[in-house]
Amino acid sequence: MKYYLKLGFILLIFCVVASGILAYLNTLTAPVIAERKAREAIETREALIPGATFEAQSTKDNMEYFIARSAADSTQILGYTFVAAQSGYSSTVQTMVGVDKDFKVLAIKVIDQSETPGLGANCVQESFTGQFKDMVLADLRVDKDGGKVVSLSGATITSRAITNSIAGSIAAVQADLGGEQ
Amino acid sequence: MSFIKELSKGIIKDNPIFVLVLGMCPTLAVTTSVENALGMGFAATFVLLCSNIIISMIKNITPSKIRIPVYIVVIASFVTIVNMVMEAYVPALHKSLGLFIPLIVVNCIILGRAEAFASKNNVLMSIADAIGMGLGFTLSLTIIGSIREILGAGTWLNIKLMPITYDPMLVAILAPGAFITLGFLMAILNLVKEKK
Amino acid sequence: MGYLGEIFVMAMTAIFIQNFVLSRFLGLCPYLGVSKKLDSAVGMGMAVIFVMTLASAITFLINKYLLLPYDLMYLQTIAFILTIAALVQFVEMVIQKNAPALYKSLGVFLPLITTNCAVLGVAILNTEAVRSDGLTAYNFLDSVLNGFFSGVGFTVVLLAMAGIRMRLDMVDLPKSMKGMPIALILAGIMALAFYGFMGFKI
Repeated sequence: MKYYLKLGFILLIFCVVASGILAYLNTLTAPVIAERKAREAIETREALIPGATFEAQSTKDNMEYFIARSAADSTQILGYTFVAAQSGYSSTVQTMVGVDKDFKVLAIKVIDQSETPGLGANCVQESFTGQFKDMVLADLRVDKDGGKVVSLSGATITSRAITNSIAGSIAAVQADLGGEQ
Repeated sequence: MSFIKELSKGIIKDNPIFVLVLGMCPTLAVTTSVENALGMGFAATFVLLCSNIIISMIKNITPSKIRIPVYIVVIASFVTIVNMVMEAYVPALHKSLGLFIPLIVVNCIILGRAEAFASKNNVLMSIADAIGMGLGFTLSLTIIGSIREILGAGTWLNIKLMPITYDPMLVAILAPGAFITLGFLMAILNLVKEKK
Repeated sequence: MGYLGEIFVMAMTAIFIQNFVLSRFLGLCPYLGVSKKLDSAVGMGMAVIFVMTLASAITFLINKYLLLPYDLMYLQTIAFILTIAALVQFVEMVIQKNAPALYKSLGVFLPLITTNCAVLGVAILNTEAVRSDGLTAYNFLDSVLNGFFSGVGFTVVLLAMAGIRMRLDMVDLPKSMKGMPIALILAGIMALAFYGFMGFKI
């Protein structure tokens, strides 16, 4: 019995040493990772609605969105940005959406996906995302479901996930703001 | 055995993928492009090198009964280090390799070399073994990745190679293509070995 | 969609639409190594399902109550793999005591379940997985069920492979194709067949 305790103890020492080294390295890399993620989010927001300052808000269901006000005149609301997410084919696809104050789409950017290379993964390309410009809530369904969004060839699931998540998020933010007014 | 000999055996004679048939999971999953293949190759080589060194150094103070868990802790630690560093400094590659970075810890090549070699040889030879195996692994991954990327996307390291009229054979970068490409490559290698 | 529907989606996904072996490339070493004979394949499959289910359960608890609250996510790899190693060791002891014949037939492949990418793979996938609404993370039951179904997916393909390979022994193959190459090409064709499940909208 004592022998096994001794073995377990030695293993524990190895684990503690390893954890200690990793904890130290974590303090070095974690801030780098966090800072990069924050910077990327800011840059994406600014690319979607240029010339704006952003104020964070959240809906009653804890969905985060940003009110974009003109940098030159803070009483003028340029629009809103938020992240729409839905499970696609092989991953959850996250899309950052910028809409104007009437909830017409200004631009979108797919910020996170691990869909099939050559098929669903093409959703990041301008040839797919560009078509969302100027669409309103009523247009936001894939062509197969009666909407205006042209699906990626061979990637209906990915296209549908992105489109429906954008529509759902617009509806959620719109409802939240409509309710407050 | 001399340093050079240890090193070179991992590249051809005891090639981890084509001869020893180890490390199959990452081989088929990350060879969708040369960039991913190289990234995985270097990450795995780094882990292999570091763990071989440490395991060779501690081989005399590790009780035999718990040696496998101890090796696992060592390997897992280096895998975590690689994971953290990649996420911080090469986020795009980290995203493409995804699940397979932590899965390096169960890559049979690394645990296999630790058990079969590093635990029984000195540090210098273990370094040679690690570099050799790592290079063999990376080279093989790159070859498979090249074939799949050229056929499946018409590019090599994102440089367009095929003429515009080439319609990419998508299946090459999808799952079935992975298996079939590797299958044919192994058959060709068997053929070459037979002829010798 | 009711919870039963969620479970059905999970099962279909793990077994067919995103089969663990043919689509996610997890669990390949035993898949290519053990699938030569049907009975050893059955034993291996059962063992893997058992380990994957238990591992999913334990790693979920470790993740939820130890790693997340104390901000120790970077220790996930070490914690998970050590848990799995301990679990396999435990399963080995139990089988050795209660079913010595099975223990003997599985041989060296039982401890090798530790290095089966599928087990660690499903543990990590469970921590990142979300339900079909794209938002809710998996809870304990979801994780355990996912582990179970993924194991089933692995076993289904393993058994199919074993059945085909047994018949291949009777066929005249060119010498360079024998063994690994034909197994891989077979797997590729199976993967192609499973691709037909891709468009399923449940």
